[in-house]
Amino acid sequence: MKRITIDPITRLEGHGKIEIFLDEEGEVANAYFQIPELRGFEQFCLGRPAEEMPRITNRICGVCPEAHHMAATKALDALYHVEPSSAVKKLREMFYMAFYVTDHTTHFYALGGPDFVVGPDAPKAERNILGVIHKVGVEVGKQVIDCRMRNHHVIQMLGGRGIHPVAGLPGGWAKAVGEEERQEIEAIARQNVDFALFSLKVFDDIVLANKQYVDMVLSDAFTHRTYYMGTVDANNHVNFYDGMIRVVDPDGKEFVKYHPRDYAQHIAERVEPWTYLKFPYLKVVGWKGFVDGRESGVYCATPLSRLNAADGMATPRAQEAFEKFYETLGAKKINGRYEPVHYRLATHWARLIELLFAAERMLELAQDPEITDPNVRVVVKNAPDEGVGSVEAPRGTLTHHYQTDENGMLTKVNLIVGTTNNYAPIAMSVKKAAQSLIHKGAVITDGLLNRIEMAFRLYDPCMSCATHSLPGQMPLEVVIRDAEGAVVQRLTQYVDSRLYD
Amino acid sequence: MSHTLIIGLGNPILTDDGVGVQVARAVEDALPPHLRDEVRVTEAAVGGLRLMEMMAGYRRVILIDAMLGPDPAGTLRRLTLPELETISPTQHSASAHDASLITALEAGRRMGLPLPDDIVIYAIAAENVVDFGEQPTPAVAQAIPRAVEAVINEIVHSS
Repeated sequence: MKRITIDPITRLEGHGKIEIFLDEEGEVANAYFQIPELRGFEQFCLGRPAEEMPRITNRICGVCPEAHHMAATKALDALYHVEPSSAVKKLREMFYMAFYVTDHTTHFYALGGPDFVVGPDAPKAERNILGVIHKVGVEVGKQVIDCRMRNHHVIQMLGGRGIHPVAGLPGGWAKAVGEEERQEIEAIARQNVDFALFSLKVFDDIVLANKQYVDMVLSDAFTHRTYYMGTVDANNHVNFYDGMIRVVDPDGKEFVKYHPRDYAQHIAERVEPWTYLKFPYLKVVGWKGFVDGRESGVYCATPLSRLNAADGMATPRAQEAFEKFYETLGAKKINGRYEPVHYRLATHWARLIELLFAAERMLELAQDPEITDPNVRVVVKNAPDEGVGSVEAPRGTLTHHYQTDENGMLTKVNLIVGTTNNYAPIAMSVKKAAQSLIHKGAVITDGLLNRIEMAFRLYDPCMSCATHSLPGQMPLEVVIRDAEGAVVQRLTQYVDSRLYD
Repeated sequence: MSHTLIIGLGNPILTDDGVGVQVARAVEDALPPHLRDEVRVTEAAVGGLRLMEMMAGYRRVILIDAMLGPDPAGTLRRLTLPELETISPTQHSASAHDASLITALEAGRRMGLPLPDDIVIYAIAAENVVDFGEQPTPAVAQAIPRAVEAVINEIVHSS
C-alpha cells in the first residue's frame, strides 16, 4: 500500500497530520487525520479552586480564549447555583459578540481567503493573506486589520485584559460598562455591521459569481449528509451565548433538543486504535464508522451546522442572508424550515452570515438600556458541587463540566471543545476529497493536496493550545510510499505554502 | 509611548513553553530605573497577526520565546527576523486564523501600520511543550538567568 503523508498542515491551529493510504492500483484506500494531543490538562486542574477555571482554561487555546473563558464562567454559574442577572448576561454576550466578529473575520480573510479569494490553483506563494490583500486590495486589508483591532479593544475593555480575559465570575462579571464606553461600543458595532455586509458582498462577487467555485462548492467531493448540532434560543434561532442544544437529522427533522447539562446522555465518544483523539457521536444513533446518513451517529458542529440546526437568525439582516443562503443553494422549505445544506464548503458562507448576526446582536446589546447597569456582581452563597457550562465556540459547541468538593476544589474536569465534535466529519471529508482527486496515474500536485487541505480547513479546526514554541524544522512533509512501504517521493512544504522538492 | 516593547511569548501553563513569559517577568523586575519609561514589558500567547498588531507604534521589539529544534534544552539563541524566516513556522501558531509572523509583518506594512524595523528574538531551546505544568524542565529553568542578563544587556547597550 502506498502512503502519502501531509504533515503538518499549514494554516491549521496546532499541527496536524493527514495520512492517505493508496492501494495497489494507486487509488485512495483510507485517509486518516491525526494530531498530537496535549497531555494532562484535566489532571493539571484537579485540586485547584474552581473559580480559577475561567483564567486557566482560556490558556488552552490562543485562538479562542474568550470561548473557554465564557464556557468556564457559565460552568461556575451552575456549579455555585447562581443565576446571573439579565444585565450580566447581556454584558457577557456583548463581549462574546465582539470576539465572534474578530474570529470569523480572521478566518474568512486569512484562511478561507487563500482557498477562495485567491483560489486553490493560485501560485503557492500567493495562497496566504498577502495574496488575499493583493486580490481584494490594500484598502480591504486595512479594514480587516481595523476590524480586528477595534474588536480587540472592546474585548480588552469588557474582559479586563487584552488577550486572556479575566472578567468572568460565578453569577457575575467583574466590570460594568459606563455610558461613555457604551457609546464607543455602539459605534464599533455599527462599523462591524457594515463590515459584515461588505464581507458578504466580497463572497458574492468573488465566489458566487465564479462558476468554477460554485461548482466546487456543489461538488460531491465536498458533500456529506450527517446530523447537525447547534445552540438555539427559545425561537429556535441561532444563539452563540446561551440556549438549548438542538440536533437535526440529515433531512432536517429535529432529532433531539436538550439542556447543555444533559450532554452525557446524548453524546458518547468513540476510541480508534490509530489516534489519541476521541470521536464524539450521537449515543442513541450509535457509532457505525466514518459514514454519512441517518443510521450513522456522526454529527457536525460548525457555522453550517448551526444554521442547519436552527429555524433562522434572530436579527433582521442576518435572517435575510440566511434565506438567501438556502434559496441560492436550492434547499426546499419543509414544514416551515429549510432542509439542511450538506455542501461542506458552504461553511465559509455560513460563517459570514454568523459574522453579520454577531455584529447585529452586538449593536442591539450596545443599545440596550440595561447594558450600563452597575450591578454586575453577586455574593455567592450556595455550596458548589457540580456544573456544566456551554457556549457555541466559533468552531463548534463547547462544553465545560466541573465537579468540586464542598470547598470548591476541583475533583473532576471534562471538556468537549469545539473542534472535537467535528473530528469524525473532518476525517470523512479528507477521505472523500482524496478519493475524488487522487486517481491512478494522476500526478499529485500541490493543487490537489491543497484541495484535500481545503476539506478540513473549512471546519476551521483548532487542535491545540496557545503554545507556540519556535521550531527548528517544522515543514509540511509529503511522503509517497510504494506498495512495500518504501519512499518513492518526498515533498516538503514550508510556511506560506512554498514547495520544495 | 514607550519606544521598546519586550514580549514574553508562550503558554505559562505548558511546561517549557512558558519560559519566554518567565524571562519577560524577570526582565521587568530587573530593568534599571532609568529605562522604565521607555521600555514596556508584556506577555502574550499569540502569534502571527495578533503579535504583529501588538508591535504597532514601537521602534524596537524584543521577543522572548521557547524554541524546538536540534539544540540541547536550555540553549539560548539570539535571532534576527531574517534568521527566523529561515526556520519555518511556529509550531502551534501556524494557524487556521493566522499567518506566520513574517507574513503578518509584511501584511501590516503593506497596510500602512507603523511597525518596527528592529525586531530581535531570544529563543530558548525547550524540551517539553506538550504536558501541562507551570514550571519549566530543569535545563530550561537554568537558562532563565542567562536569558534575562542577555536581554538587559541588549536594552542597556542600545538605549
